Amino acid sequence: MNRVATTPGAPARRVAISDADFLKFRDFFYRKTGIHFDESKRYFVDKRLVERIQATGAEDFRSWFIALRFEAEGRELQQLVNAMTVNETYFFREAYQFDCMVRDLLGEVVQRKRPGGRIRIWSVPSSTGEEPYSIAIYLLERWPQIADFEVEILSSDIDTAVLRAAEQGVYSARSVAQLPRPYLDKYFERLDDNRFAISRELVSAVEFSRVNLTDAADTRRFRDIDLVFCRNLLIYFDDLSRRLAAEALYDAMAPGGFICLGHSESMSRISPLFRVRRFADALVYQKPLHGESA
Amino acid sequence: MGLRRTAAAEPLREVVERAHPRDLTGLLEQLCEGSAEQRRWAARDLAAHPGCTAALGAQLRTERDAAVRDALLTTLGSLGSPDAAAALLPLLRSEDARLRNGAIEVLARMPAAVAPNVPALLRDADADVRIFTVNLLGDLQHARVLPWLLDVLAQDSAVNVVAAALEVIAEVGGPEQLPALRAAQARFADDPFIGFAVEIAIGRIESA
Repeated sequence: MNRVATTPGAPARRVAISDADFLKFRDFFYRKTGIHFDESKRYFVDKRLVERIQATGAEDFRSWFIALRFEAEGRELQQLVNAMTVNETYFFREAYQFDCMVRDLLGEVVQRKRPGGRIRIWSVPSSTGEEPYSIAIYLLERWPQIADFEVEILSSDIDTAVLRAAEQGVYSARSVAQLPRPYLDKYFERLDDNRFAISRELVSAVEFSRVNLTDAADTRRFRDIDLVFCRNLLIYFDDLSRRLAAEALYDAMAPGGFICLGHSESMSRISPLFRVRRFADALVYQKPLHGESA
Repeated sequence: MGLRRTAAAEPLREVVERAHPRDLTGLLEQLCEGSAEQRRWAARDLAAHPGCTAALGAQLRTERDAAVRDALLTTLGSLGSPDAAAALLPLLRSEDARLRNGAIEVLARMPAAVAPNVPALLRDADADVRIFTVNLLGDLQHARVLPWLLDVLAQDSAVNVVAAALEVIAEVGGPEQLPALRAAQARFADDPFIGFAVEIAIGRIESA
């Protein structure tokens, strides 16, 4: 069956996406990104495919697909990833990984620490701070052993504008909508314009820094990281940058350290260095301990 | 205990000079003789030395540590030069599937450097090398991939090489490739697998 879609404001030319086109695209996109679209996402996918075909001026799906497959720079693939993924940040996003952190990951990490030792967590990209502050709140509220260890939260981004916003720590109502009310009351001050300012105590608990994850000169100083949150970032990198980032993360992490990626990302597609660990709440990747293989 | 305060503006960690020299001579020595960690860091830091590709390729062929291998592959990929491709291409002959696949993955991201080598690789006497080259073409982002695959269909005598090419053409081919597919089917008229693979490819192309 052929489905015809047009986009608002687009030229009258109509582009058809056949069932075979959809399957061809779906297989290719899965191989490249690990993101799988089932039939229920057909309308979403078709609409974006048509937008990309029209934006590139391609005659039809096939000529666009050939260009996508063999374009040396991979720009169209990147545009496609951007179109097919929605990157919205807010407090407690994908909270199942924070649950995994406090229920399982930190328990393993502290087994390798002396009493009172330092645990180092790295949140990258920081974006405007929702993730590192969510980690801080989770630790304070849901990890009883916080009193027994010193936890250092580092957070980095390549964009200095979002780093400044993270340090200011003022958020929209939408951004804090997933926070339990008691946490909102405890850690935020409601401003006159219905925005929310996070407590300076939390701001001072996160060390923000500008880092390009693919630049070894930037990442060289990161060492002994026990837990990395690197969610919904690598998917936007090209293949080489993704490998470079994985190398940097590997060298920054302590043996046995864990890394959490976004729900649609897979480290196994990027690097063989890490091993997969399945916990009750999440699938995470682990740097092997000394003497172990991935 | 608890969350560590960072208000003291204490540096995260000073970038200190490494204990081992980072010049080309020092890095090349560590690449061959250091501990696994030293070899890995040498491999990463050699990305700043485009002339070291032969040494990186030589180390890849003997390196046993997976983390060092990965760094070697990434550095050669980031160099991306014809010399880097030349250091990786011999790995298509490796019996080590992980190493070979790692090389194919990196080579696929170096289309300009790989392309001049493709015609010779597709004429290699070893059918396995030709199969791995077709596998590489399946991911190589280069405008000549389809013509190269059609040459395989028309000329290669090995069933498994042609079958590998059919798999890729089924995905990227169009109606204009149907005569070439039929010709391959006729060329291997006695081989039921090629007949089946051609029908699959034609079916996928015609249904698009």
